[in-house]
Amino acid sequence: MANPKHLPPAVVFDAVSVRYGRVSILDTVNALVPRGSNTVLVGPNGAGKTSLLLCLLRELPYRGNITLLPLPDGRQPRLAYVPQQMTLPLGLPLLVEEFILLNLGGRPLWFGRKAGEITSVKACLAMVDAQNLCKRRLSDLSGGELRRVLLAAALGRKPDILVLDEAEAGVDVRGEALFWEILNSTRQAYGFTQIMVSHNLSLTAHYATHVICLNKSVQVQGPPRNCLDAAQLYRLFGIPIHLYPEQCELEVPGCPECGAFSHAAHEHGTTLAPVIPVSLNHQVEDNYA
Amino acid sequence: MPDLAPVYSLLGMLPFDCLQLRFMQQALLALLLLTPLAAILGVHVVNCRMAFFSDAVGHSAFAGVALGLLFGLDPLLTMLLFGLMVGLSIMTMQQQHRLSADTAIGIIFSAVVALGLAVISQAEGAARDMQRFLLGDVLTINEHEIWILFALFVLGLIFQYVAYNRLLLISLNPVMAHTQGIRVRLWQYLFAALLSLVVMFAVRSVGVLLVTALLIVPAAAARNLTTSAGGLFWWALIVGLSSAITGLLLSAQAWLGTSSGATIILTACCWFAISLLWSARQNSRC
Repeated sequence: MANPKHLPPAVVFDAVSVRYGRVSILDTVNALVPRGSNTVLVGPNGAGKTSLLLCLLRELPYRGNITLLPLPDGRQPRLAYVPQQMTLPLGLPLLVEEFILLNLGGRPLWFGRKAGEITSVKACLAMVDAQNLCKRRLSDLSGGELRRVLLAAALGRKPDILVLDEAEAGVDVRGEALFWEILNSTRQAYGFTQIMVSHNLSLTAHYATHVICLNKSVQVQGPPRNCLDAAQLYRLFGIPIHLYPEQCELEVPGCPECGAFSHAAHEHGTTLAPVIPVSLNHQVEDNYA
Repeated sequence: MPDLAPVYSLLGMLPFDCLQLRFMQQALLALLLLTPLAAILGVHVVNCRMAFFSDAVGHSAFAGVALGLLFGLDPLLTMLLFGLMVGLSIMTMQQQHRLSADTAIGIIFSAVVALGLAVISQAEGAARDMQRFLLGDVLTINEHEIWILFALFVLGLIFQYVAYNRLLLISLNPVMAHTQGIRVRLWQYLFAALLSLVVMFAVRSVGVLLVTALLIVPAAAARNLTTSAGGLFWWALIVGLSSAITGLLLSAQAWLGTSSGATIILTACCWFAISLLWSARQNSRC
């Protein structure tokens, strides 16, 4: 695979804005998604992360431009999407292999299957280490298994750009780490560009190659080491978060009750570290200066 | 139009006395075309929770017939067109005005029923039409209607071949479906249009009170009888067809003599009860 640094970006967001009536959801978002990268959108709830993904998928009207640059061979990139959750119609009998086939296209499910189709389904499930789930009902899967099947269905489309909206949320710690590891290895193997929303900052710091910190507009973007420092995370989330050991020496007072860096203190109205809008955040910036 | 006499002769060869009568042969032929179509569309009606939608479209049949009588047009034509218009209007209200499905349907439901009642209250002999609308009568179906049903049957089969997977994926996650290049709204509108036309014919056969049952009971029973979405299609078809044939033949027996529409639905409900027992038995084994 060519070095992504020498390639044009996969996606360019140019002054993208979204409003619902008087409420601004996204305000002049300018961002680049490097080709072949694992780009993670980070930000608090209501920051517009999912909205930006929906704009990319042409699901939400917006002002500005979103450009999907052609691939080096001139083709338009193919998108695939992994949703945060999928609500199965109550009692719908649907096998995992049928769900994968729905995503691969082809003959209607009631018309029987060709041998080649079954081979393709098994290959998709093998990518996420889930071959054993082939004949299981979708409604019988655990949360972690369902996420892997959703990922397999998306990967089966051989995407050039894979879009994930908190696809790992709600899974236990081990399942989440496994999900990121599978994503990382398949991205490296197949060379697609990955854009995902995640709230797991430590896994983002480990696996992301590019981070976009979003809070209505882009706060900062670049490699995780540059974007996920304690000062930036404080500006973004309003609580002390130290991902890197050397930053733990920074003097941020702990909770007067428990002594920990707990955001619970904000919710109870104590004075640990007031949540200040980014534009007015001089006091916080002074603390980290 | 080609002569249907050879088909009737074929049906007349079945070992049932009641099938020697032409109107019974016509009724059976109409049901052989209508019930499979309703059953397989019912699979998506159940998945997309559109039972109330079907009910509202069914209730518009009365206003459609009344408008036809008022303007001196063919009531069958006005009923079909009015039903189609109502189905598409509900979809548009949901999509354009961000109304919840039950609110949009509730508004249109009330409007069409009120319109039907207002128009028919001006006409004489309305009570007879009202009863026909409520109970349906497959035994009076004519050859012209059978040909329209045949066209609808072919259209429905083609639609199911092209749209079955698409509609299933849309019901699971519309954003995922759209990302795959599926034109979500187009398929939703096409489905609503076909469903509206089938519902109109179902009203003609089993009456407005039972129209939703013809759609959802076979699909609901099928859910209990299979573990796969492919099997769902075939089981709905089997339950729908067998209920129609059994129900029609039973209703024609002198010792029973019940309404054909009601007997068909009761047979389908027996299928559903059996499917529940089967499902409970399968679950207890796990």
